[in-house]
Amino acid sequence: MTIRTRLTLWYAGVLTVFLLVIGVGTYREIDEQLRHAHRRAPTEHALSETSEMVFEVGLPAVVLGLLGGWWLTRKALTPVSNLTDAITKVHERNLREPLPRTGSGDEFDRLTEVFNAMLARLDDSFNRIREFTLHASHELKTPLTILCGETETMLRDESLSAAERDRAASLLDELRRLARIVDGLTLLARADAGQVALKLETIRLDELVRDNFADTQILAEPQGIRVELTVGAEITARGDRHRLRQLLLNLADNAVKYNQPQGRVTMGLQRNGDMAELVIANTGPGIPMESMPRIFDRFYRGDPAHGTEVDGCGLGLSIAKWIVSAHHGTIQIESVPDKITTVTVRLPLDVK
Amino acid sequence: MRVLVVEDEKKTASFVRKALQAEGFAVDVCHNGDDALAAARATPFDGIVLDIMLPGRDGLSVLRQLRERKNATPILLLSARGEVNERVEGLNAGADDYLSKPFELAELVARVRALTRRSGENKSIVLRVADLTLDTVTHRAQRGGTDIELTAREYRLLEFLMHPAGRLCGRMMILEKVWDYDFDPGTNLVDVYVKRLREKVDADFEPKLLHTVRGAGYVLKEPA
Repeated sequence: MTIRTRLTLWYAGVLTVFLLVIGVGTYREIDEQLRHAHRRAPTEHALSETSEMVFEVGLPAVVLGLLGGWWLTRKALTPVSNLTDAITKVHERNLREPLPRTGSGDEFDRLTEVFNAMLARLDDSFNRIREFTLHASHELKTPLTILCGETETMLRDESLSAAERDRAASLLDELRRLARIVDGLTLLARADAGQVALKLETIRLDELVRDNFADTQILAEPQGIRVELTVGAEITARGDRHRLRQLLLNLADNAVKYNQPQGRVTMGLQRNGDMAELVIANTGPGIPMESMPRIFDRFYRGDPAHGTEVDGCGLGLSIAKWIVSAHHGTIQIESVPDKITTVTVRLPLDVK
Repeated sequence: MRVLVVEDEKKTASFVRKALQAEGFAVDVCHNGDDALAAARATPFDGIVLDIMLPGRDGLSVLRQLRERKNATPILLLSARGEVNERVEGLNAGADDYLSKPFELAELVARVRALTRRSGENKSIVLRVADLTLDTVTHRAQRGGTDIELTAREYRLLEFLMHPAGRLCGRMMILEKVWDYDFDPGTNLVDVYVKRLREKVDADFEPKLLHTVRGAGYVLKEPA
């Protein structure tokens, strides 16, 4: 039961009791006056007069009171519903936007003020975490540069044995992987901080997809994976060419990596309403149901028993999701384990 | 060839110097922007490797100063930030190339070599390594007189590897020049393409020309 209903019922109850008290009082008064006037007791007359008064004046008063009460509580509680609506819209990205205040200085206004102060503190904490990630990834680059450089210098040393050279090369492979992780982390941290601007231009999506298809075929060839493409007519969108190519390569690479030998990858691009719809589907083990809600999370690997042998930086899908969101699009992944995994990306068309 | 390396991080400066010296460059090292400006004024360098983040006067400011003084020495910018804007800003300010940290040493050396060689680059139409030829106008590739069919991408890869021949090409460099990717996609795209190219160019012929240099990249050259 809402506060409004409860208060209205209370109010109605109070009004009814009040009416009864007045009714009884009025009855007594009229009865006494009649007794005085006629020195007899015309109780019936007093009763009918009282009930007449109660019904003709009291009842409408109660109804009016009820309506008034309902209106009053509604007015008093509107700030609460407004607050509820506003709070519903609060998420990690808009903590800096304060909830609207009424400015009346009442209890609700005070509540809003306190809530805004809490949001500001939360925003501060979030920013500190973001800045930490950003600084951490920058700080890591200098030692990484030295490590990579020194290891490469070591590899050039002619006096090394073949075994030592192998070890250095393997070290270098891991260092490069680390460098890719740090790169991805930097990109996401900077995107979080709103420091990455897209270079928007009008782009032929169909051409990008065709181009990507050629690379995917080459990537898929060693495992005997077949790649198919269906692209309709010219489809243009406004976007950042580099980022969109990164997105396509990322998704195509996943479709090949998490596939099975002699498997299949299908890529399709078509118009769907005012959106361009890119669908990349692949055969393979797929994604278990319980992992689904977290697949876009940074460094999320799912069941450790699955896919640990696949090389990657653990940020691919997070980056893909960021690229799609930055283009005001949506990305969706569905998977039937051991059958097919489908990634659907929708991007707004370039409407002229 | 004399190159100036401007890098405040001593260890980085040291291995960059060693790597360039190993390639036959004479190398001077500066650890801050003001020294770099003084050095560039005193000595005519063939190329400058310039870190953006320097104590005091930063790399971009050094670059602008040099260009204002009509100093046209080819400059390769290094940056730990690797931001697209910074790259664009650097190139607009007159840099000739940009490399983000951490970089492949082989890559840096290859870029410095390309930078210092740029003016006198051999612009022949038909590239040739041993009996492999590539016509950059007709896109026709031949080995020992036999035509080799290449896709558009394979052609660009081969052209890049042959131009100039014998240069060590890092993966990132290939991704950037052949695919126009300015990020490391973490795929084995380059390796798979080189493998395919090797099958077409080397499999049926002797001597083998396309070699993998582990940890560094690829090189297309006639065996010594």
